[in-house]
Amino acid sequence: MIEQLTKSLLEKNLEDPSLLEETSLLKPKKLLPNAHVIKIGGQSFIDRGKKVVFPLIEEVKENLSKHKMIIGTGAGTRARHAYSVGVDQGMPTGVLGLLGTFVSLQNAKMLHYLLAENGIPYIEPGGFSQLPLYLEERGAAIFFGMPPYTYWQRNPEIGKIPPYRTDTGCYLISETYGTKSMIYVKDEKGLYTNDPKKDKNAKFIPKITAEELVARDLDDVVVERAVIEMMMNAKNGRQIQIINGMERGNLTKALNGEHVGTIITA
Amino acid sequence: MENKHNNHINSMYMRESLLDKKVMAIGEETPTFKMLPHVHIVKVGASSFIDKGREVTYPIVDKLREILKNEKLVISTGGGARSKHLFSVGLDLGMPTGVLAQLAGEDALGNAHILGTLLSPEGVIAIPPESIGHLLPLFLQAAPGVVYAGMPPYSIWEHPSKKGNIPSHRTDAGAVILAETFGFKSVTLVKDVDGLYDKDPKQNKEAKFFDKISVNELEKMNLRTLPFNRVLIDILKNNKSCNSFQVVNGNSPELIEASVNGEHVGTIVHNHRYG
Repeated sequence: MIEQLTKSLLEKNLEDPSLLEETSLLKPKKLLPNAHVIKIGGQSFIDRGKKVVFPLIEEVKENLSKHKMIIGTGAGTRARHAYSVGVDQGMPTGVLGLLGTFVSLQNAKMLHYLLAENGIPYIEPGGFSQLPLYLEERGAAIFFGMPPYTYWQRNPEIGKIPPYRTDTGCYLISETYGTKSMIYVKDEKGLYTNDPKKDKNAKFIPKITAEELVARDLDDVVVERAVIEMMMNAKNGRQIQIINGMERGNLTKALNGEHVGTIITA
Repeated sequence: MENKHNNHINSMYMRESLLDKKVMAIGEETPTFKMLPHVHIVKVGASSFIDKGREVTYPIVDKLREILKNEKLVISTGGGARSKHLFSVGLDLGMPTGVLAQLAGEDALGNAHILGTLLSPEGVIAIPPESIGHLLPLFLQAAPGVVYAGMPPYSIWEHPSKKGNIPSHRTDAGAVILAETFGFKSVTLVKDVDGLYDKDPKQNKEAKFFDKISVNELEKMNLRTLPFNRVLIDILKNNKSCNSFQVVNGNSPELIEASVNGEHVGTIVHNHRYG
């Protein structure tokens, strides 16, 4: 098997569908099957301050001995400001991505300080080799949600804002490590037919498939479109849940596998 | 429960969902500043040249030396045969795509050091992946060119592939994305074929050659094999600054120089903004 695959890889074009088919026969190992990735929103959550952040931090602490949590952070209003200034100053998407990363990093460090007394580390992209140890020893680790694409951030289809932001960066950690779940903590219950902050008639959607979501082509969605697209190609991460973290207990329920927000499957 | 908060800084994206298509389009037409508009990027295939030894590599290096007398170059290379072997062992051991992407960067770095060693007399060195980004303009003021390990730093953040488990963003993709960000003048992908054919020309003598093709046409044709990363079709479509790349045959090293000089000597792949 391995000899045959080596032969095919060396002889065939790396884009040859028959070779790609061969590589898909080998299922990747789930590296951290008992861990959860939790993404805590920037604009929707951290920017609101202690009123919403402290109760959530308490809930994270309560779960430290029960669950392994890889916690990523969003960017939020300062990233919007940076994108706004950056676009006007002629910055390319790759530079805008860097500016967003800095904000997501600030949020990660603040959560890290709030959890410092519990021994929870903040890890940089280069520090992920230590992740399994921290999860085993302390139950959690915090990272910034932006994928570290730096100057290699691809252009979006429309406009200039980096298309792969913190939702995507967190999702990809759950996909690569094969974690048990991917939970997005926001200030809304999940997905609605329109932005519920602007449209009172927007209807809540408790469960939907990625395919249906793409077919609906909504003007506004609750997670980055890239996540939905990637889910359809995923080897591990075929389900995500969006929850309202402002309701005490929702995070714990989601960690326990309960359905408390919108579940998107592929 | 209150559903809005007002802790914002005033800006044009303030309070808006960045996922709203109308908001995303803001700034679409604002011109992007080009950081390095006189610099060219040349990607040298590792399987096609470095792995095959000095007979085919040295003539390319000699040609790069000549070009470096007049032009600033960013030279990138890939992992070649060792990355392919790594993919085989890695997949057999159950490594996910992101881990393969992370580890393949090391093979590319090894090859970058080979080219960097050969180009040292010109002051061209292999720079570490973490320095290539923001330090690039500085390096290019100090030297006529740099070599870097072409794998983009997607690492464990590599996207799941549409088919199979091989990382989709490899060195060709890395070159084109970098060209877009820095506003490079041209992208040349040096391969061991003349360019794009409708079938693999090494196996089909009647294969039809394309000297120029748009990404939209290319997408429709859905060719079985390509002499570059398939993900480039999606990338080039959205590019605004780097609107084309040229695939040339490095077995005739003079074609590299011609391509850098803007001549049409291989296959030009372009988007709708090209021209």
